[in-house]
Amino acid sequence: MNRRNFLGLGVMAVTALPAILSAAGTIDFRATKPDAWTAKKVDAAIKALYGDIKPEAKGVTIKVPKVASNGGSVPVTIKSDIDAKTVALFQDMNPESTIAVFHVPEGGIVDYFLKIKLKATDENGGNGTITAIVEAKDGKFYMGEKALQVAKGGCEG
Amino acid sequence: MSNMKIKAKLKGDIVGVKAMAKHAMLTYDQAKKKGKKANFITHITAKVGERVVYDVSTSQFWSKNPQFKFKFKGGKKGDKVDITWRDLSGKTVTESKKIK
Repeated sequence: MNRRNFLGLGVMAVTALPAILSAAGTIDFRATKPDAWTAKKVDAAIKALYGDIKPEAKGVTIKVPKVASNGGSVPVTIKSDIDAKTVALFQDMNPESTIAVFHVPEGGIVDYFLKIKLKATDENGGNGTITAIVEAKDGKFYMGEKALQVAKGGCEG
Repeated sequence: MSNMKIKAKLKGDIVGVKAMAKHAMLTYDQAKKKGKKANFITHITAKVGERVVYDVSTSQFWSKNPQFKFKFKGGKKGDKVDITWRDLSGKTVTESKKIK
């Protein structure tokens, strides 16, 4: 089953992420959603994090190079004007799917830049995909995707 | 400083922060090959005073010596941004920088 079909199957009610704010005002998603970090497929990781959601494919921009020459350091920018509660970032090249889960604090702006490691994509022009999910404060979910090629892998080290 | 480099700059009403943490970010696969234990940053939090302005749970797939940028509203020149990371081994490091 491909991801698009899977996401289209949102028959279940949207399960909003429970706000597990610690006293310090931070959320440790590795502790609250441990299965999201071991999931080996993007759809499974999204399900482990958010449940059976049906994100709308709009309002989320991902910027990556078309061809990353060095998989050890691939720059990624995620932007959205949506009033967001959380933002999650996934990819389908490495052994596990989840890269990061942001908790957007009051006054926070969804304009994140980070550098990540990716395994090389298929030499025959195969693409990998970066996926971002934005959980809005009103409980709706939005999605952005971007394809890229990675010439030299960065996880083999 | 040795463990983290931070730049924080106010532009209009938005503070932009650029940072680089010094960490090997050894994935499970890399660790296995090297006969070492995997260790990577698992959480990064930035605060201005008691207010959280950046909060992210992270994975092994951030680059070695990971660089990251973020923006927030409600900061002013001279305020201190404190960035703390924690890794899988439980080590935490905090560095501070004044907003320019």
